[in-house]
Amino acid sequence: MKPEWELWAQEAKAEFPKANSALLPLLHRIQSEEHYLSEDTIRDVAVLLKLPVPYVESVASFYSLYYKNPVGKRIIHVCVGLSCALNGSDELMHHLEGKLGIQEGQTTPDGEVSLLEAECLAACNLAPVAQVNLRFVGPVTEDTADQLLTGEVKS
Amino acid sequence: MIRLTIDDREITVPEGTMVVDAAQELGIDVPIYCYHQALGPLGACRICLVQVEKMPKLVTACTTAVQEGMVVHTRGAAVDKGRQGVLEFLLINHPLDCPVCDKGGECFLQDYTFQYGSAAGRYDEPKIHKLKDAAINEFIIIDQERCVLCQRCVRFMGEYVGEEQLLLEGRGVETVVSTVGHQAMDSQFSGNVIDLCPVGALLSIPYRYKARPWNLEREESVCPHCPVGCTTSVTSREGHVIRVEGRPIPGHNWGWLCDRGRFGYDFGYVEDRLLNAWIDGEMTSAAESTRTIGSWLNDTLEQHGRDSVAFLVGGQQTMEEAYQIRRFADEVVGTSKVAVSRSVKGYLPTGLNGTFEDLDRADTIVYLGQDPYDAVPVVHLKVRDRHLDNPGLKVIGVGAYDLTRSTVPGDAFVIEPGEEAAFLAYALAKVAASDPIIARLGAELGDFSPTFKGSTSEQDVERLGHQLLESEHLVLLWDGKDPHVESVLLALRGLREDVTAVLPTFGPSNWRGFERAGIAVDYDRLEAIVEEAIQGKIHLLFSIGADLLRDYPDRERAKAALAAIDRVVSVGLFFPEQRELYHAVVPGAGWSEVDGTYTNMEGRMQVAKATVQPPGQSRPVRTYLGSWAHALKKSFVLEPEWDPFDNNAGDLIASVVLPEVRSVPRPARPAMKDGALRLVGTALVMENGMPSEILQPRMPRYPGRISLADARRLGIGEPGGELGLRGQQGVISVMVAVDERIPQGVLVLPYGVVGSPLNQLGDGAVVEAVSLEEVSLR
Amino acid sequence: MTQTFYLLRNKAVPDIDRIEVYEANQGYQALRKALKEYEPKALVEMVKASGLRGRGGAGFPTGMKWSFLPDDGRPRYLVVNSDEAEPGTFKDRELIEKNPHLLIEGMIISSYATGAREAYIYCRGEFLFGSEQLKRAVAEAYQRGYLGENILDSGFSLDIKVYRGAGAYICGEESALLESLEGKRGNPRLKPPFPAVAGLYGMPTVVNNVETICNLPPLVENGPEWYRSMGTEKSPGLKIMSVSGHVNRPGNYEIPLATPLRTLIEEYAGGVKGGRQVKAVIPGGSSVPVMTRDQLDTPLDYESILAAGSMLGSGGCIVIDDQTCMVAVSARLLKFYREESCGKCTPCREGTFWMTDVLERMEAGEGTQRDLDLIRDMADNIAGKCFCPLGDAALGVVVSAMKYFPDEFEAHVTEHTCPMGARLYDTVNH
Repeated sequence: MKPEWELWAQEAKAEFPKANSALLPLLHRIQSEEHYLSEDTIRDVAVLLKLPVPYVESVASFYSLYYKNPVGKRIIHVCVGLSCALNGSDELMHHLEGKLGIQEGQTTPDGEVSLLEAECLAACNLAPVAQVNLRFVGPVTEDTADQLLTGEVKS
Repeated sequence: MIRLTIDDREITVPEGTMVVDAAQELGIDVPIYCYHQALGPLGACRICLVQVEKMPKLVTACTTAVQEGMVVHTRGAAVDKGRQGVLEFLLINHPLDCPVCDKGGECFLQDYTFQYGSAAGRYDEPKIHKLKDAAINEFIIIDQERCVLCQRCVRFMGEYVGEEQLLLEGRGVETVVSTVGHQAMDSQFSGNVIDLCPVGALLSIPYRYKARPWNLEREESVCPHCPVGCTTSVTSREGHVIRVEGRPIPGHNWGWLCDRGRFGYDFGYVEDRLLNAWIDGEMTSAAESTRTIGSWLNDTLEQHGRDSVAFLVGGQQTMEEAYQIRRFADEVVGTSKVAVSRSVKGYLPTGLNGTFEDLDRADTIVYLGQDPYDAVPVVHLKVRDRHLDNPGLKVIGVGAYDLTRSTVPGDAFVIEPGEEAAFLAYALAKVAASDPIIARLGAELGDFSPTFKGSTSEQDVERLGHQLLESEHLVLLWDGKDPHVESVLLALRGLREDVTAVLPTFGPSNWRGFERAGIAVDYDRLEAIVEEAIQGKIHLLFSIGADLLRDYPDRERAKAALAAIDRVVSVGLFFPEQRELYHAVVPGAGWSEVDGTYTNMEGRMQVAKATVQPPGQSRPVRTYLGSWAHALKKSFVLEPEWDPFDNNAGDLIASVVLPEVRSVPRPARPAMKDGALRLVGTALVMENGMPSEILQPRMPRYPGRISLADARRLGIGEPGGELGLRGQQGVISVMVAVDERIPQGVLVLPYGVVGSPLNQLGDGAVVEAVSLEEVSLR
Repeated sequence: MTQTFYLLRNKAVPDIDRIEVYEANQGYQALRKALKEYEPKALVEMVKASGLRGRGGAGFPTGMKWSFLPDDGRPRYLVVNSDEAEPGTFKDRELIEKNPHLLIEGMIISSYATGAREAYIYCRGEFLFGSEQLKRAVAEAYQRGYLGENILDSGFSLDIKVYRGAGAYICGEESALLESLEGKRGNPRLKPPFPAVAGLYGMPTVVNNVETICNLPPLVENGPEWYRSMGTEKSPGLKIMSVSGHVNRPGNYEIPLATPLRTLIEEYAGGVKGGRQVKAVIPGGSSVPVMTRDQLDTPLDYESILAAGSMLGSGGCIVIDDQTCMVAVSARLLKFYREESCGKCTPCREGTFWMTDVLERMEAGEGTQRDLDLIRDMADNIAGKCFCPLGDAALGVVVSAMKYFPDEFEAHVTEHTCPMGARLYDTVNH
């Protein structure tokens, strides 16, 4: 457990009438530093929020944005929803798989990049759209796909 | 009340009843997986679809509350098609491995598929593979592929018991039931998930691959391990008990069992089970032992008279057996010296005895002396049930350590060991000092200012006094150790206008049955026999289902008593401790081997049927009694049989009338020495009584419990360690672990357990604790 | 095309997400007016009179929803549903990212009307930027006295908190959203009780969609008659349609309700890409049945779309051109529902899984005649039998596609190949 987590837990708890509501925000905050939620982290969070460990584990496992296993520092989500599929998201995914030398769902051996599928990201006007560490990029063409791998992404 | 029609039959049920339960009342079976009355509606499995007129879609009977004039059809083309669809969906990812599944033959997935399912599957895609055959603790195995995700197990543990040890992991079709971090479930109530699982996903490890439902026998029984008397169903095959399940009694109990009761059924078959008779250390035949014991009895009566013969009984046999022993003592021997070896000093007047229905109505529940979770686990679950039902329930723990736990939060009053009576009287005096009843209590208890520990204030105690007097339905769960509590209980009844009910959490499982059958569970009688034995006045002792060295609070004194008796005869399932003190040991028969009646802590009589024959040469006690009588050339006719349920027969002993003021003086508080520990005894059902190989892995490695501060001081770390206790016989070792509920200076030890030196040192004694390293250095 | 915009009126104003710019463009004027000129009950009546319907998908009358709150003195909550994840829908994202103050102003008015003293915005986990925008805007609103104690000296006080989910479409269902907001798994709750009676933390709660709440400021400014001057009797007012798929100008378009579908696609969204023809349109997010080229003149209002066999839903309009395979479209959508099923109830959990497999197999040319009956029967076994609407939502497109394009499905199982040449994507790559 990192010393600042206690403070984060206090801050998260202070925002809501019931401590349980602090769980998702605290998991987000810790994961943004740790990149994923290890079993130890889950335990720590349970202790910080006075919740049963299984409860925290069960909740975390429900949401697709919490990672139980280590992921890359750069997480690329390619939207494969219908509108994106109609605009070539599968080709984009294949392109990225080729570039990175990994399959969807995997992380590069150097631990830098994870390539993940996303269900509709609610940005169909930008189809095919992707997110880099939850920042939107789109429409992505084969020419601009490389930006996903290295470029800085703001919004 | 609401009137509705189900399958053309009218029924009137209370508002809020679910359609599924209304149908059940009419005897109409609506299939269910996820629904359970104790857990409430969930609506997950969708198998209970029914048609309600004027509703556009099928509805689930488990989530639909009855409405006036509702017309329900539980069958019909649409309903059957809906159920067929649900079953087909449930089976697509199911391994269809009924031939190797223990649940086969008593599986709701199988049964409903026969009833509603289609003959052939249409699923050709690859199945999802999940975890199979994984133990989630010592007793239970999970097969996630067979799971229908009804969540009964998860909800039972998390919502009902309040110990979240199972969880839903993942989402959608990948969802599984799992334990956290694949750690073993250690709840006292884990086994119930086996009964709750409607399919073969959670199965009993001890029962695994033992039998098929169609080649086994099932009998109604009662759990013999503690005074709760949970109703069970016992499964046997080829003369062996191979499984115990909870047996719900609608309107009375849910059929929950603790793991002690569910899995501790193998004491009949453990290696130590006595199968032959032994005389003076030599194995002999049953006939030879009978002749020998008969002659001892004959000689003793002739030489020393009938008052030189005494009987010690354990209190776990059936009421019928208790009755037979008492008649034998009365009519054949002519002695009145019959005592129960596990008598406690306190005694509960019958008039105060409450029932489990009182727990269902309680607004205030007080634990006196011990945590019911440890001693009578299912009572804890009943309290939890009440807490869920009535979140305003006040729970109060009064004892030498914090008796409350997170599953039923409450106020804990931590006091000097053994001063429950004085403390309660003190609290009562704060609000009703002028009442003559309080004055009488004062006269009895003397010192009226007990010390309480922790953050408790005088205001807290005053509030307790108000709660004790002003609550509407007060239930006290009493450990029976401090006899002066009786006076407080009687005083409470005198002072209060509303219901006061007491449930005794002490004693052997059938002590109330023994009382009804004519054997008083009275500590003074036990003490008298021990004293007379030491004085050489007892020449022959029959110890039946008893083990004095284990049961009696002072082990050295017990030893001295047995050693002073000419002949000691033991009838039991096992050798007693220090068998060399016994002259004859003959094999008895016990629970599941004899039909009989048990009376539980409420005073409720329940029948347990025999399911198997006693093994080896072991015999029911009546066989021995009859043949010993025969050896005396006396007739011992038990016809007609006594019927415990015959109200005209009544209790065979008059209920004990207690004096208003106890003459027993209150023991002085022993002086505490620096660094010493005060011993506090408690019952631990998991370690109580009969041995079990199945339960072995669950036996706590550290039966003793101490505070964190003492543990640090004595160098005890996680998860526990060994501690030396300096007694009169030198340093005794005990394994202890930290329990944050225990105050500094207290060591809680279970009684009646091998490895717990409680009766070597004395409950309440102050002992010097030394780290064993220190000892070895000397 | 000359039109005055209301919900998207400030789309073209740079930095409208900053409070001073928002204020300079009539921002928070409606709030001042509401607090000054209206009693809370009068505002509820106004919303009722306007006929505003929920824009999240179900189209339930907003004023009526508000009036379900019991008057029992318990604290009440307003929760704004910004868990926008219905495929084809992206209007709420634009509203919160570009113009967060419009939502906040609408929330303050709505809270005042409903008596809520605390309000929450539940953003989907993927809306990191959106939630940052909202948090910043909320902080600005506190600074200017639009939030906190005694707002604009009205005696009314309100706190707004921004909460971010963590990736689960089901949390767009209002009771699942409340579970998630309470820090639990996002499983839908048993109803009754409905959120109006026992919602967040068991208290009376109104859950409204972002766009619904964004209607409040223009409604207060212009009054219910103005609102009713647009649309139809049963579908008055404005709607943002998100148009995507095979169109030249995908984007959000604010229309008066009852604007023809054709106008939306051809005029607003610039028509189908590459000069191809419309084959099918999913007009209201992926949960609604498809419409065909013949139905393009249907007015976009709740009742007309319903009469045409579909639903206006969330207004997520996905345009599919005539070179696209409807089996592939169906398979892709089913996969979405399979991934997003919470897993609580059997038909949804297992049914979406199975149906996805069968559709993907068919698209890959490995289907059989039996599969067609199987899909229809499976759909029948799911329809109306699930715990929450997700299971039914999964069926909209596939069932309608089989109805309108039977030959295409047939061809997959007789020819064992996709007649469209699987231009959409290669489904077997899973």
